[in-house]
Amino acid sequence: MAAAVALGATFLVGTTAFAAPSVGQQAPDFIAVDTRGQQHKLSDFAGKFVVLEWTNPGCPFVRKHYGSGNMAATQKSATSKGVVWLSISSTERAASDYLKPAALDSWMKEHGAAPSAVLMDEDGAIGQAYGARTTPHISIVDPTGMLVYAGAIDSIASSRPDDVETATNYVNQALGEAFGGKPISAATTRAYGNSVRYKA
Amino acid sequence: MNPSPSLLPARPTSGVRGLSRTLSSDASKAARISATAALVSVAALLSLSFPAHAQLSPKTSAVVTTSHVRAELIAYAPDGVAPGAPVWVGLQIAHQPEWHTYWKNAGDSGLPTELALTLPPGITAGDIAWPVPEKIAVGTLANYGYEGTVVLPVPLTVAPDFKPATSLTGSPDIDIRLKASWLVCRQECIPEQGDFSLKLPVQGSTALDKAGFDAALAAQPVSLARPGTIEVQGKTLKVRLDGLPAAVQGKTLGFFPETGDVIHTAAIPGKDWTQAWDGAAWTATIPLADQRSARPTVMPVVVTLAVSDRQPGQPIAWRAEAPVSGIWPTSAPRAEVSPALQSALAANAAAVPAAAPNSATAGSFIAALFGAFIGGLLLNLMPCVFPVLAIKVLGFARQAGDKRGHRSAGVAYTAGVMLSFLALGGAMLMFRAAGEQMGWGFQLQSPVVVAVLAGLFTMIGLNLVGVFQFGILVPHSLCAAQVKHPVANDFLSGILAVVIASPCTAPFMGASLGFAIALPAAQALMLFAALGFGLALPYLAAGFIPAVARLLPKPGAWMETLRHVMAFPMFATVAWLVWVLGQQSGIDGAGALLGLLVCLSALAWSFTLRGRTRMLVSGLLVVCSAAVVVAIGGNIVRTVEPAVAASGARWQPWSAARVAELNAEGRPVFVDFTAAWCVTCQYNKKATLNNAAVLADFEARNVALLRADWTRQDPTITAALTALGRSGVPVYVLHVAGKAPVVMTEILSAEEVRAALAAL
Repeated sequence: MAAAVALGATFLVGTTAFAAPSVGQQAPDFIAVDTRGQQHKLSDFAGKFVVLEWTNPGCPFVRKHYGSGNMAATQKSATSKGVVWLSISSTERAASDYLKPAALDSWMKEHGAAPSAVLMDEDGAIGQAYGARTTPHISIVDPTGMLVYAGAIDSIASSRPDDVETATNYVNQALGEAFGGKPISAATTRAYGNSVRYKA
Repeated sequence: MNPSPSLLPARPTSGVRGLSRTLSSDASKAARISATAALVSVAALLSLSFPAHAQLSPKTSAVVTTSHVRAELIAYAPDGVAPGAPVWVGLQIAHQPEWHTYWKNAGDSGLPTELALTLPPGITAGDIAWPVPEKIAVGTLANYGYEGTVVLPVPLTVAPDFKPATSLTGSPDIDIRLKASWLVCRQECIPEQGDFSLKLPVQGSTALDKAGFDAALAAQPVSLARPGTIEVQGKTLKVRLDGLPAAVQGKTLGFFPETGDVIHTAAIPGKDWTQAWDGAAWTATIPLADQRSARPTVMPVVVTLAVSDRQPGQPIAWRAEAPVSGIWPTSAPRAEVSPALQSALAANAAAVPAAAPNSATAGSFIAALFGAFIGGLLLNLMPCVFPVLAIKVLGFARQAGDKRGHRSAGVAYTAGVMLSFLALGGAMLMFRAAGEQMGWGFQLQSPVVVAVLAGLFTMIGLNLVGVFQFGILVPHSLCAAQVKHPVANDFLSGILAVVIASPCTAPFMGASLGFAIALPAAQALMLFAALGFGLALPYLAAGFIPAVARLLPKPGAWMETLRHVMAFPMFATVAWLVWVLGQQSGIDGAGALLGLLVCLSALAWSFTLRGRTRMLVSGLLVVCSAAVVVAIGGNIVRTVEPAVAASGARWQPWSAARVAELNAEGRPVFVDFTAAWCVTCQYNKKATLNNAAVLADFEARNVALLRADWTRQDPTITAALTALGRSGVPVYVLHVAGKAPVVMTEILSAEEVRAALAAL
């Protein structure tokens, strides 16, 4: 298991940290190992929408959305439509809030989270490739492998759980519009939260 | 999120895993103490014992200390609080080493500090005068913020007519309260907040914190005389600022856009971005962010001198609001759904039952025919139809043995049923063709039809219970004709069955009827015929299959009893129709109808009298009835506004716009298309939609409940039903943004609703 995790994320498509795709461009493919040692390849999910969610239980903004149940509800709503939801931890091992795969897995479980898998990206390669700057950060890849959304989970940049009620959930909105055959009205939004704890 | 009224020392959040917690600050404690002091001073005033409250109210320093910052509300009013005098308040944040808070544009992550001031009337606060920030690199990202100690000053404006509240001490002061929240970060971030309060003397100087304000005001950018220009060129911004002082020219400047999410914040000067002096103009080429969410037309920007170049007493930063020209890179088009996905979605939508009537195929037509047939069959069980059927079958028992008679009766009844269905269906199609918005059951949207039906059912009920016999009412010749032609009687009872069954849209029938509307007339009429055949079948079968007839009990005295018993479902139907009319025409309409029914019943009874008495009594009753009609008959057709609010706050009135609005908010919407005259609707409303588990599920999933009341003619509801592939009520629909609407069965079970909700 540890060895599998140590394998970490391996890139199929070489990208540098400063060339993250914009919305409307091809999403970089990747292979990553999840918290249970299973390997996942983004391109294997072709034909489905894939939500990538950067997470870090040490981040108060992440806790806002998990503690209020908002993240779990958003995950369930998406996966019930056949969307693949990948939660990604790009937190480096040396970071004080780094959680080992098993601990991260059980934290997610405690919060009723329902992602399709929780991926370990300790060297930050996936996060850098997608330009994820904060936790939470959301990227949505469409069934053809194109990046169709990048940004925040919702419209109110705060760590106050009370704001979840009144904020517009950008993920629900984007998926709703996509499934309704409409263009995504807010395709790039300002992600808010803590900085992703990338390896220096 | 108010601080808990605890007198314990402030216990700040600490550590990465500490939950965000409201601070109970010294400041808020002080505020409470001064509030108490105010009460005490009122008491003091009353007792005239000791005049001053100052001794009771400790000098508040308005400090909140956490393990990451020491935050203090400070003030600077060298000339006192007077109109025109400079008055500043500010939050001074002293950060622990390595920790920082944020500027108005926080950069790649973080949040600007928020200040919410509460001031006495006559004093207003301006915006935070943000001192110039530093660029703080965090790994591969960068933030704009402050380390060390910073003061975020806020200018106060004193209105010319400002009058301070008088104070017992003779030296008035103003009460300033601040609710502040800030995000303090090292690598990890902790959201913190505090409540502060401060009393600022109106007279005399408040200059204790002069040094802090001086530093903050010295760190304000100076506005440039000219706005400069910003041009978007490919994936870069070309910035040009003119009018910078000569002393600055040639120096390397820091660049801070006030607009977030435009430039690549972590770009390293000299490597990722360049700057140059073009004479007195400063120019720079700055890379855009990969994930740029803003495309401003004007960008306020700040340039700063490096710390080593700053001179005391000289400006250190300049600000310009530069118009943006050029075209933002179009690498971020709006995301469209691919054609392949689009067709898959269309296929999904078509899979919803009968939601796509235009895609009628032979298979779906046969399915619709079958559905209509089953629907018709189930109509027999409706409370208003069942007594008719029971009495018809009763007739078989009376004529036991007359096989030929049974057959012709069965055929006649079936013909009556089917022809009247065809007539109703034809009428509905004609209305539709003429552009009228009509749906199944439309006839009951008319109060007159409801009133006539109530009268008819009253007469049937009175007849069943034995108040009168038809033989007495109608001329003998007609009676004889009926005996001579029992077939005609059966035909007429077939029509009666349809008239009374039509308001009830039975299960499986709704979809078929909706389907019928979109079909060519011939096929549509076939569907109505199938419906009629279903309704007539039990009687037809009883006529043709001797086994069914043999199953019937022998005629006897029980038949009379059954007749009487069957009167009560009829009266129950009358009660229901009166209620329906009440929905349409209000309490006055329902009352008028009841009055007329009483007249009608009395009339029916009077005809059973004999000789002169009969003439006299019925004549009187006719006059009375006419008087009643003239006096209150109009109330029956007078429509009133539906009592929507009476259905409870849980259900809101339906409108297509409201559905779209709620869906846009991300809320699922459940719509109950209903009508007062629809029995199935009432049953579902009471049984399923009031089910505690169903309501709990609605609540848990934040489902908005809308009710579309079709009791009266409403073209928008009819149109919505048509769009759903239906033409009558009940219809239950779950709308979820981005999904095809889920249309549920007409006899709604709690399980079905819960399953649909569970799939959300």
